[in-house]
Amino acid sequence: MKKVLLLLIMIGLSYTFIQSKNILNISAGVAIFLFGMFSLEEGFRSFAGGLLEKVLKKFTDKRYKSVLFGAITTSIMQSSSLISIISISFISAGLIGLAQGIGIIFGANIGTTTGAWLIAGLGLKVDIATYAMPMLVFGTILMFQSDKKAKGVGYILAGLGFLFLGIAYMKDGFDAFKETIDLTQFSIDGIKGLLVFTLIGIVATVIMQSSHATLVLIITALGAGQITYENALALAIGSNVGTTITAVLGSLTAGLEGKKLAAAHVIFNVLTGLVAITFIYPFIRIVDISAAFLGVGAEDYTMKLALFHTYFNVLGVSLLYPFTDQLVRFLDKILLAKKAKGENERDDVYFITDSALDFPATAHSVLIKETKHLYSNTFDIITKGMSIAPEDITSGMEIDDIIKLRNQPLPVNMDEYYENRIKDIYGKIINFAIMAQGKFGEETIRDIVPLKMANISIAEAFKAAKHMQKNMLFYLSSNNEHIKKEYNHIRKNLIKQLRNMQLIFNTTEEDVAVLLLSKIKLDAKKYDIAASKSLDDLIRSNKINYTMATSLMNDTTYAYTIASELAEVANILFIHHEKEGKEEREALLLNDLEVQDLTNHN
Amino acid sequence: MSGSKFIAKIEELFGIAPQSEESKKKAVKELVKKLKLKRIELKEALKEECDIPKREALKDSIKILKKQIKKGKDILDD
Repeated sequence: MKKVLLLLIMIGLSYTFIQSKNILNISAGVAIFLFGMFSLEEGFRSFAGGLLEKVLKKFTDKRYKSVLFGAITTSIMQSSSLISIISISFISAGLIGLAQGIGIIFGANIGTTTGAWLIAGLGLKVDIATYAMPMLVFGTILMFQSDKKAKGVGYILAGLGFLFLGIAYMKDGFDAFKETIDLTQFSIDGIKGLLVFTLIGIVATVIMQSSHATLVLIITALGAGQITYENALALAIGSNVGTTITAVLGSLTAGLEGKKLAAAHVIFNVLTGLVAITFIYPFIRIVDISAAFLGVGAEDYTMKLALFHTYFNVLGVSLLYPFTDQLVRFLDKILLAKKAKGENERDDVYFITDSALDFPATAHSVLIKETKHLYSNTFDIITKGMSIAPEDITSGMEIDDIIKLRNQPLPVNMDEYYENRIKDIYGKIINFAIMAQGKFGEETIRDIVPLKMANISIAEAFKAAKHMQKNMLFYLSSNNEHIKKEYNHIRKNLIKQLRNMQLIFNTTEEDVAVLLLSKIKLDAKKYDIAASKSLDDLIRSNKINYTMATSLMNDTTYAYTIASELAEVANILFIHHEKEGKEEREALLLNDLEVQDLTNHN
Repeated sequence: MSGSKFIAKIEELFGIAPQSEESKKKAVKELVKKLKLKRIELKEALKEECDIPKREALKDSIKILKKQIKKGKDILDD
């Protein structure tokens, strides 16, 4: 169906192009302009790996800063769509909050108005096609460079070149049109015209997915006198509403928070559009008065359109900015997160989405969060595998009291738990990490590989716990007090280890984390040594038989694997939880040799 | 001013510049200071503690802290 429709459109356009060279010129202008937008976005994306992400995180801690950030970056990049997509990615990855994201969208709406000024002020009054040619040449040369930054600059230059060229084509097309046909005969006055042209503006922007392209069309047509001023204003309002389609499409592959941001974008732009339509005549009056004051000629409708575009967007932000919190609450209420799953229900990843792979910072943040998610599920089943309730670990109860309380085996199906709550999440994390490794540069790979290893360690710890569970259940109900005592000893050590892990994850004090990370390594090593000695004594004194001894020997190794693999997970998550300051965090942690040295002194 | 210097200046101005060796040492120094305080705190706790396993755990922590503080000092002396 889609293919047939596309073919029909192509045939229709071909027929139109044969009939009118001017329509061909205008359409080619739009196509070149859209290609320019694509190149420009691609160019800015190549810088998104570094500076843009840092600036985004740094400058969105206060709402007014988010608005400023949105306004400035959109003015520079001339693409509110790119800013929306970046914001959706960041918000889905949990790097910024919904309120900050909304602030950025507010700012982007203000920033996008600079486009109208540039097109009306420069695009139509200067022969910009002259500048387009060298930009295309230099841009293309740079695009072929292997250096990522040079390539990015190349895309930006070529993008600007194409934008200029597209505008020139559209302008020429409409100018030539003037001599053969008067499109103003299709103008509609009054409210009807306002609504019809707003709708046309929406549809045109949805199709082109660029409010800038629509604005250029409107301004060039208006400059050539092919549409009336009032209809042009309605088209501009429509383009403002239609531009939200990019955010909506972008949010389809994003997380819940990203969807909320796209919804906020739609709500904001539709409300702003409604305000502009309702008060269009007072707006026109204000534009007329202020245009005279700003030195814009009474007949300079393109500049007056730019002024109108700025006024209604600024008014929209001014009206809705104070209600950001209410908007956040409203969106939280209507777009609900999936209910927390019961322990036997199938669990899935929370943060991994396609949009998280857009930027290195979002990929990194999502990997950290999903690794913690996987750890949390694995922590649950490891404790249950030892016949202990997970809440016992987080309680303040003495370890001996926990052992007394849980002195009976508590069977749990670890295979079923793995199928439901570990396997898919683990698989998706590894897949996501591999995709990110292939997509981003060396620096990002250095962050991603250890996180992948942390997930492998979690899986190893689970496997060890699963192997240990069978004997654990068996010997906890044994009549041989010696073997029972040894298994309780394993449980005690693992409880201590898991408790310290929880403390590391929950503490905000760096010194506590640094101490505990080395402590869990030391405890794992010390226990391994002590267990071997104890086992030798038990065998020599015939307190346990050889079957028990073999089981105990194997399970001691499994317990050591659990402890050391989880220590590794904690280590990696502590060092890599933020991209900045890794070396400082790692500097004082004891390595394996240093820990070994401490055990030798004991 | 060259392009890279200009970017470095802008990054510094906005506080997004990558950390210099000096600021890294500053961060390590801060952490060493905290670890020293932690060691004093644990030594005090050890004096009060009578339970043998807990005393052992405290002794281990103190030994770790000693090693970490030494490691930190070595970095600062470099």
